[in-house]
This record gives sequence, C-alpha cells and structure tokens, in this order.
Amino acid sequence: MLGGGIVIAIIAILHVFVSHFAVGGGLFLPLTERKAYRENNPALLEYVKSHSKFFILLTLVFGAVSGVGIWWSIGLVNPEATATLIHVFVWGWAIEWVFFLVEIASAFVYYYGWDRLDPKTHLTVGWIYFGSAWLSLFIINGILAFMLTPGSWLETPSFWRAFFNPSMLPSCVVRTAVAVALAGVYALVTASTLRDVGLRVEVTQYAAKWVLVGTLVIPLAGIWYIASLPPMAREISMGAAPAVTIFAGLSLFFSGLIVTFTYFGPYQNPRYFNLTSAFVIAVLALSSTAVTEWVREAVRKPYIIYNYMYANTLRLEDVPRIRQQGVLASAKFVHFHKVDPQKLAESGEDVFRVQCASCHTVDGYNSIRFAVKGWSGEMIDYQLVHLNELKGFMPPFVGTDDERRALAAWLINLNPQPVTREPVTPGVQVGSAETTTPGAAKP
Amino acid sequence: MTSNVIPGPVPIPLPAPLWLIELLQVFTFVLHLVFMNLLVGGTVLLTVCSYLGRSEARYRDLTRRASRVLPPIMAFTITLGVAPLLFLQLVYGQYFYTSSILMAWLWLAVILLVMLAYYGIYWFSMQHEELGPRRFWVMLVTTILILHVMKTFTQNMVLLERPQDFYPRFFTTTVGNFLGPHDMLVFARLSHFFLAALALGGLGLAILSRSWRADSPDLADWARRYGTRWFQIGTGLQFIVGPWFLFSQNPNMRRAFLGGDRLDTSLLAIAIILAILAMAAARKSPAVSVFAIVGTISLMAVIRHLLRLAYLDPHFEALPVQGQWVVFAIFVVLLLAGLATIGWMLYRLFRPAPARTASV
Repeated sequence: MLGGGIVIAIIAILHVFVSHFAVGGGLFLPLTERKAYRENNPALLEYVKSHSKFFILLTLVFGAVSGVGIWWSIGLVNPEATATLIHVFVWGWAIEWVFFLVEIASAFVYYYGWDRLDPKTHLTVGWIYFGSAWLSLFIINGILAFMLTPGSWLETPSFWRAFFNPSMLPSCVVRTAVAVALAGVYALVTASTLRDVGLRVEVTQYAAKWVLVGTLVIPLAGIWYIASLPPMAREISMGAAPAVTIFAGLSLFFSGLIVTFTYFGPYQNPRYFNLTSAFVIAVLALSSTAVTEWVREAVRKPYIIYNYMYANTLRLEDVPRIRQQGVLASAKFVHFHKVDPQKLAESGEDVFRVQCASCHTVDGYNSIRFAVKGWSGEMIDYQLVHLNELKGFMPPFVGTDDERRALAAWLINLNPQPVTREPVTPGVQVGSAETTTPGAAKP
Repeated sequence: MTSNVIPGPVPIPLPAPLWLIELLQVFTFVLHLVFMNLLVGGTVLLTVCSYLGRSEARYRDLTRRASRVLPPIMAFTITLGVAPLLFLQLVYGQYFYTSSILMAWLWLAVILLVMLAYYGIYWFSMQHEELGPRRFWVMLVTTILILHVMKTFTQNMVLLERPQDFYPRFFTTTVGNFLGPHDMLVFARLSHFFLAALALGGLGLAILSRSWRADSPDLADWARRYGTRWFQIGTGLQFIVGPWFLFSQNPNMRRAFLGGDRLDTSLLAIAIILAILAMAAARKSPAVSVFAIVGTISLMAVIRHLLRLAYLDPHFEALPVQGQWVVFAIFVVLLLAGLATIGWMLYRLFRPAPARTASV
C-alpha cells in the first residue's frame, strides 16, 4: 500500500524539520548563552539550560536516528541511486561522519557540562557543536544538491565537480536560513512554557526575531537557488505541472503566514503569546517544510540523478542497450527473463515491477490501477510509447515492443473492461506494431 | 543462471583500493562493536539489577549511578555503526541492498525500535528516581527492543553472505515480508554476540565502578566484583557457544579455522588466548583485561571479515579503482582533528575543576 516514495517522504520531512533545528539550535544555544553572560541574566541562562535538555532529547535521538532512517529507506527503495551516491561521495560521507561524531560528542559535553565546565569552555563547546553541525549540513547539502544539478560531473566525473555543483551554494544558504528560522520556532515553543512573565516576554520576542530573520532570508536565497536549477525543473515548479506549482505556491503561502503570525504575535505582542500559538507556528513551519521538500523532490523528475539516472533507477547510458535487449533480460528479480507470449500479463507484471514500481503501487500510493482506469488498450499503448512526452515528469518506457505490449496487457487487466469491449486475455496483443514508431501511432 | 540473478555492483570505480576500504571498515566496526557490546550488555545488566533492586538497596544504587552513562553509549553505538555500514555498502552494496530489501519491513523497523529504545534509555536515566520500581519494566522493554535490533542485524548480515539464496527467496516470500533466516548459524551467531555483550557489559561496570570509589567505596568494590563476575561468566560460556558457532559454519570455512588455513587458525587461537588472559586478569588488573579483550574483539572482527570474503568469493566482482586521494587525505586530517577535539572536550569535562557559578 505504501509506495517507497511515501516512506522516504515521511521519514525525510520529519528529519528535515528536526535536523535543521539541530543546526539552527546549535547557533541559538551559544549565542543566547553569551547574551545571558553579557547581560548578567541568570534567568535567561536557566532558560538556555532547560532549552538544551529539550534540544538534545529531540535532536540527538529523533534527529540522529531519523537521519539514519533516510539512509535506510533510500537503500531499500532506490538501491542503485544510493549505491551511486556512495561510490561518488564515500569520502564526503566519511567526512560528514567525522562531523557527526564531533557533533554528538559536543552535544553531550555541552549538556552534561553545565555544572562542570567554566563558562568560557562551555561556550567554546557550544561553538564546536554548531561548527560541526553546520559542516555536517554543508556536506549533506552538497550531496543532495548533486542529485538535482550534477553539473559538469556528467562530462568529467570527479568528487569536486560533483560536490561543488551549480545549486550547492544557494541551497546551502537556503538551508542555513531555514535552520535559523526553525531555531526560533522551537525556541518559541519552549519560551511559551516559561512561568516568569518577564522572562517569557523577553525570550518570546527574542525567538521571534530568529524566525523573522530566517524567514526573510529564505526567499532571497530561494531566488538564487531557483536560478541555479535546470530549465525544466524551473518550469515544472512554475506552471508546467499544476500539482507541483500548487505545492510551490503553498510553500510561499505557509511561509507568508509564518512571517505574519510571528510579526503580529510573539514579536509585537509577546505578552499574549502562549503554547497553543507556538504550536500553530510550529505546525505551519512543518507544513512549509513538507511542501517545500516535496517540490524539491518533484522538480527533479523524471530523474533521481539529473540527466544520469531516471527515477526508476535506469541509467541514461543504458537506455539504447535495454531498448534492444529488453528490460527483463538484465533484470535480476523477475519471474520471466523474457516475455512469455503464453503468460503475457504475468510477464507485464514483471515489467511493471522493474520499470514502474519505484514510484507506483498497484492499489496504494500513486496507484497504477487508478491511473489507467477507463483507458482502452490502444490508449495504454499510446501512453507507453509517448510516456515522457505526454507526462514530462515520467521517464520514457524503455524496453522491447514485446515488453511494452506485455505491460499494456497487464495494465488493462487491472480494471474491469466496458461490456462493449472484448475482455483482454493473456496472449492477446494489445496495440499494434506500428505504434512503436511515434509518428505512426494511433491516437 | 546463478550469475544472472545475483546483482552486480554499480559501474563506478572504487574511490580507494579495496584493502584500504576494508581496513577502515574493520577498524570502525571494532569501535562500533565495543560500544554495541557495552550497550547490549549494559541494558541486560541494568534490567537484572533493576529487578533485584526492588528488594536490595545496593542494586538500586548501582542502577542509579550506571544509568547516567547509557545515553552516550547508545549515541556512540549508533554513530560508530554508521561508518562500517557505509564502507560495507561501498564494497558489498549489491548484496546488502538485496538482503535488506528481501526483509525490508523488518529492516526498516530497526529505525523505529532504535528510536523507542533510545527514549527508553533516556527515560530510565533522566527519571530514574521518579520511576521507582517501574524502572524495571522500562529497562526490560528497552532491552527487548535492543535485542530485537541485534537479531535483525545478525539475520541481515547472515543473509547478505548467501547471495545464492536471494533468487529462490524471491519466489517463496513476498519481497519485503521475509522475516530473515532462522537457522542454526543465526542462533549460534546471536548467542555468541549476546554472551560477548554480557561480558563487556560486566567489564564496563567493573571499570565504571572505579569512579564511585571516592564517595561510595563499598558500593564501588562490590560493583567491581559483580561486574567482573558477569564478564567471567559471559566469556567462560563462550567456550560452549564458540564451538557451536564454529560448527554451524559451512564445512570448508570450519576446516580453515581448525588447521586448514594457517592464518585463519592462528588468528582464532590468538583471539581465544587473549580472551582467557582477559578472564584471568579481570579481578586483579582490569587494564590488562580491557587490552586483552579489545584485542580479542579486533581479531574476531578480522576473522568475521575473512569469513565474509570466503562466503562471497564465488560471487564477488571486483571494481576498478580510481583513487580520490585528496578527499581521502582531508578525511584523515579531519578525523584526527575531530578525535583531538573530542579528546579535549572530554578532558575538560572530566578533569577535577571547581563547579561554576550560575551567574557570571
């Protein structure tokens, strides 16, 4: 029922929401601690202390484990793409692991060191935490940006070309701004529970500034980021694909609401700000994170690594060979290594598994049964022949004519056929040979 | 037919020679093993002590003090597990991904279970007093979750060494729903790891108790003896489970470790001698015991790696190498700098210093 994509999305969105806090909160803690020392404000220092407990319980447990969870899920859903990223970036990941190690150690020392370290050393540990957390984001961001804009790596594969890819820097600025904004959002939650009214007002207004600064930088950096994207990815988010455009619009809408609520709420009227209002802003921030990450993933379609590997893990360089030899011949986990005319639909199911199941389920998320409902055999075959032209966010069908017909035979059997049509049974050819030539295809 | 159904590697060169990647894999795996053993053994030990602590005060004192070190141990078990898994995926990705996909739901559940266990550990540690006798149940559930994760890892690591089983499994179980292999080798391996964890948990307690000597010398002395007993019993029982584990291996592999291969046999013999030394030294000189047992763990990790190579040998496809030496050098420099930073922070945290004042 659950498509692989939705499993990754659930884990990834929650992870992004917490891991960016792990970075932004890493800046918030030492800066606020320093503020407390400078203003000789023990109440503020007590707040930072209690915020640091909330911080480690959320980031060290949920943040760290869900990050591993993304790795788990992409390996299960898209092993080829994961293996490719690991082969290209293994030392990058190893470096990120070092930062992760320092990040975890410094978080513990920061938390357990409140009563054991002198203020200067404690602050230094806070800065070490922030430095390692941000550097960890810097590395992962480069790898993530590579998937959308591999740039000159496609012509000359090298680690540096892959890492310093066209959207890496703007994406890093956007993510840093998101981290700052989220640090403010989480601080609003903990601030709203403070009993001391004076302190609550002070911290609430202070946290609101973090949200406003972060949220105001995001659109500026966002424009730079969008300018660095491939033209098709830009078009998809700006009208070419209505669903993606709506989500991109929702991202702006939620961000606008966050700025408005934060400005008129905790910033202007901190006295009336409470936990419920803080949760409203947190939910808006989570919604904004969800739709923005969804758009970022969606604009990469039909690829998983742009111009290198399709979303169904087919490498572009392998397409001519597979068109000739067939997709089943080189597939590992199929019942049929070539189409069996006696078991056409069953062979087609194998083609579906290899070529479509990365994104589609039969009945669950992105259901293929629903997608082809009401389609005739000719319609299905025509769609398969022109798949990438009719649906720009889908890869082309890659396989032999027999495999395409087998897939069509399986697809048409998914839904009951109208009584006027003869039921399609395995072995009956769907479409005709002419449809292999796009110009001669029957509509 | 077989080669056609066993997945091949991705067509991108390795970024360093195979030996270097495998060396890093084994080295980082040893680090993970030490913490993993402390975690598994520690949680089992604290479950038992929480139960006994319902009637005996010294067990309560022990759990209260020992519970504080569990969260960092959990964090480092996870963090130090990332590196060996990364290098494993680089070299043996095609087997690892396939075995994981076959048991996908079980494998994915690891994330949720680890998260719940981690919160269980924090609950036990931060709310130790407030929980009262209920702390036994919190630790029991946490331990069961961790043991389940351990079982899933063992199953996946066994399955990935059997690529010849992948394709037949595809026909017999819906992909993703396989609950992992459940044969003698899995149980022997699991028992071997479980006993090692009990032993290391005990040794960890014996070492930890030294830091209690200043304010509770009696408790520290008793906890050291109690931990040492766990260590000796856990290690001693390996002399039963070890041969069982060895005899559950494929006959060719078994022969290699029983004189068939000089290197394999010598490594195993030295590992066993070091374990005996660790047991003998545990009571009198814990430092010798720690060195000896870390030596055993390291050799066992090498042996395990050699076994994997042997099991995968008929299917393994070597990739060309195109070294990314500059990035590798940066990694090494950063690793050293990172370890130095961690060392400095721990030194500052644990050195005796006057407590800070709340305001400055």
